[in-house]
Amino acid sequence: MDLGLTEAQEILKTATADFVRQEYDKDTLIALENTPTGITPELFQQAADLGWLGILIPESYGGTDRSLTDTAVLFEELGRGPVLGPHFSSSVLGTLIVLLGGSEDQKQELLPGVAQGTTVLSVAVTEPQYGWNPDTVQMPASPQGGHYVLNGTKLFVHDAQAATHLLCAARTATPDNGSGHGITFFVVDANSPSVSIRTLPGWMSQVDEIRFDNVRVPAADILGGMPGNGWDILEAASMGAIPVLCAYQVGSCQAVVDMSVAYSRTRHQFSQPIGRFQRVQDHIIGAVNHLDAARWTTYEALWKLDSGRDARSSVHLAKAVTSEAYLKVCAGGHEVHAGVGVMREYGLTLHTQRSRTLYHLLGDARYHRRRLADALGW
Amino acid sequence: MDFEVTYTAEQEAFRAEVRGWLSQNVPADLTQPVDPADLTLQQYHMLRELGRRLGTKGWLYPTYPQAYGGGDMSVDFVIILEEELDRYGLHLPPYYDSGGRLGGASIFVWGTEEQKQHFLPPIFRGEWRTWQLLSEPNAGSDLAGVQTRGVRDGDSYVINGQKIYIGSLYGCEMMWTIVVTDPEAPRHHNLGWLMIPYDLPGIEVRPMELLTAGGEGGASPGLKHTIFFDNVRVPAFNLVGGENNGWQVATTHLELEHGGGGIVRRNRVVDQFLEYCTTTKHNGATLSQNPDVREDMVEVYVKSEINRLFGLRTYWLSHAHKPRSYEGPQGSYYRKVTALEMAETMLRALGPYAMTNDPQWSPLHGLLEHYQRAAVVGLHPGGTTDIQKVVMSRRIGIGRTAKEQAGRLR
Repeated sequence: MDLGLTEAQEILKTATADFVRQEYDKDTLIALENTPTGITPELFQQAADLGWLGILIPESYGGTDRSLTDTAVLFEELGRGPVLGPHFSSSVLGTLIVLLGGSEDQKQELLPGVAQGTTVLSVAVTEPQYGWNPDTVQMPASPQGGHYVLNGTKLFVHDAQAATHLLCAARTATPDNGSGHGITFFVVDANSPSVSIRTLPGWMSQVDEIRFDNVRVPAADILGGMPGNGWDILEAASMGAIPVLCAYQVGSCQAVVDMSVAYSRTRHQFSQPIGRFQRVQDHIIGAVNHLDAARWTTYEALWKLDSGRDARSSVHLAKAVTSEAYLKVCAGGHEVHAGVGVMREYGLTLHTQRSRTLYHLLGDARYHRRRLADALGW
Repeated sequence: MDFEVTYTAEQEAFRAEVRGWLSQNVPADLTQPVDPADLTLQQYHMLRELGRRLGTKGWLYPTYPQAYGGGDMSVDFVIILEEELDRYGLHLPPYYDSGGRLGGASIFVWGTEEQKQHFLPPIFRGEWRTWQLLSEPNAGSDLAGVQTRGVRDGDSYVINGQKIYIGSLYGCEMMWTIVVTDPEAPRHHNLGWLMIPYDLPGIEVRPMELLTAGGEGGASPGLKHTIFFDNVRVPAFNLVGGENNGWQVATTHLELEHGGGGIVRRNRVVDQFLEYCTTTKHNGATLSQNPDVREDMVEVYVKSEINRLFGLRTYWLSHAHKPRSYEGPQGSYYRKVTALEMAETMLRALGPYAMTNDPQWSPLHGLLEHYQRAAVVGLHPGGTTDIQKVVMSRRIGIGRTAKEQAGRLR
């Protein structure tokens, strides 16, 4: 048993933390928060130069092939920012989908660019019938000659505005005709004139609507070449991607806790630091308990994945705990900070908004509680 | 990271040795009651005898030096011992010995060499069972505000006062307590920490009737007592840690009571509740197929997993000698609060079945009925949930820059 980080992980953690502190100050993040991509080309290029974008990509495709736990250490520090942008969509979820489902040609074509930051992937699964079950994917892809034609709307897609390529799930068959779930991933050029992407307004960021208007995709751009196994690919990729997303949220929770503890020392009311009041302490202790529950469920799931153990129940547990934790930790942060916490310039609301934006991604707490029961064989 | 204890060939060889030894030394007819209050005198004697036999092997308090009756064993081997005893539903020590577990650690840290030689071997060899005496009628959460007096008179301290919520069934050989040795001195500098033989003149022990007994991580307590001291003369040699230094000594056992040692045991009640739900049919379907019960099961499972991970985390910190801060009291707080929440969830899932220990109708031989009571009682021993939060706050440094340190365990 050893619950500490390895030396290499400590180095990665420190280097990332230093970079995030220097380059992603509060003002920069607030300025980026409501932009379509959440990042600048310069910052994204730096991410590529630092090796962040190819961390899960095998060396033969231009990456550094690090473990999921290493990747989580990186993302925990990004979550502290919270650094915005398509890092998770492209270099974790998108990359795992291509690695698990793509043909050799597709891997060659997409992954080196992802590592260099010239290719950006966004995963388009959900639709107006929002959910993370296969029956919510209804957008048809109709065969026509050597092509498939995509028509319909993808909704609440993360980081589509930043993407060069969409990994788009569409229905090529009804679920009951023996071809699995009948869902197929297509690699779609995000800049195609028949694809229109719009950032959704409201209290979320980098979440988009995508309209497909007779988008013709060559059959060769079916991910993996064979139609029908898209949902299985998504499920398999999610197993690895979810705990990395959780680690990002753990870093975010840690940042909010640190901010709240610091404020409890410096803010004085009734002639003493507010942290001397037990009601204020309760908010922070509640947040610390959520943070640590999220942290240890997440890292146990990562350890199981990296050591080849059956991790299904642990992954669902981690996501159920962590999505909820980020909401609750932010709530605690706002109780502690009161008025100053809702001033955008203070920076707490970067996290509050992020906690809501990420809550549903790859399934919310309730969904994962159900999946947890399934995974435990109940 | 590695969340699993992996075993070397040397450890597996030790496991074989332990397993063989236990099969010959754990009496075949040793069964433990669901409710510790039902422990018979015969069962108690069997457990004490097993303790003495473990003690002669150095396996009762295995991490302590052999010179004091321990086993000089590393945690890697202690885990094997714990796991093998767990197969019999037993722990180390196999009977209630909270005073030995906590007091032994305190004497080891704070005692003089002479005191260690005198007090530790009988505890570590299982010859003494030891009770801890902390709470008083007017000093619970404010433990440092105890009022029991210890007045130096020649080679003795003369003790007068009252302690409550003490001990377990069938007595003990030794007790320890904190008493006021200097009423003029400032708080935390006015106390003495004393070892007191159980059979001294002037000690009266009266049983208390509680909802059930419950303890912080220790073995089954069974019953609690009020203890009165009426001019009890205790040898001055028995004062551990020096004059008016009792609070410092107490920080060691309080750290352990606040969960600072961590825990790797599974929650058997949760495991059995979940299994019961997946195997018991109502109206032709298993309980787990009922969507409401299924949600309740997930609720219980999630909380028990977080408890397990907090316990494992703190266990690793303490045994790998990493810096510790708020983690012990956090684990204690979370375990207590969620135990009550889980009991309520089980009540919701099973309805009145959770409340009976009737031989015909109760699930799991009354285990869940006892858990309903134990979860309520368990909120306070070793520091209330509110006290755990107070300690957490100080150590996290909420509202203060000088963070309180965790108590010494070595």
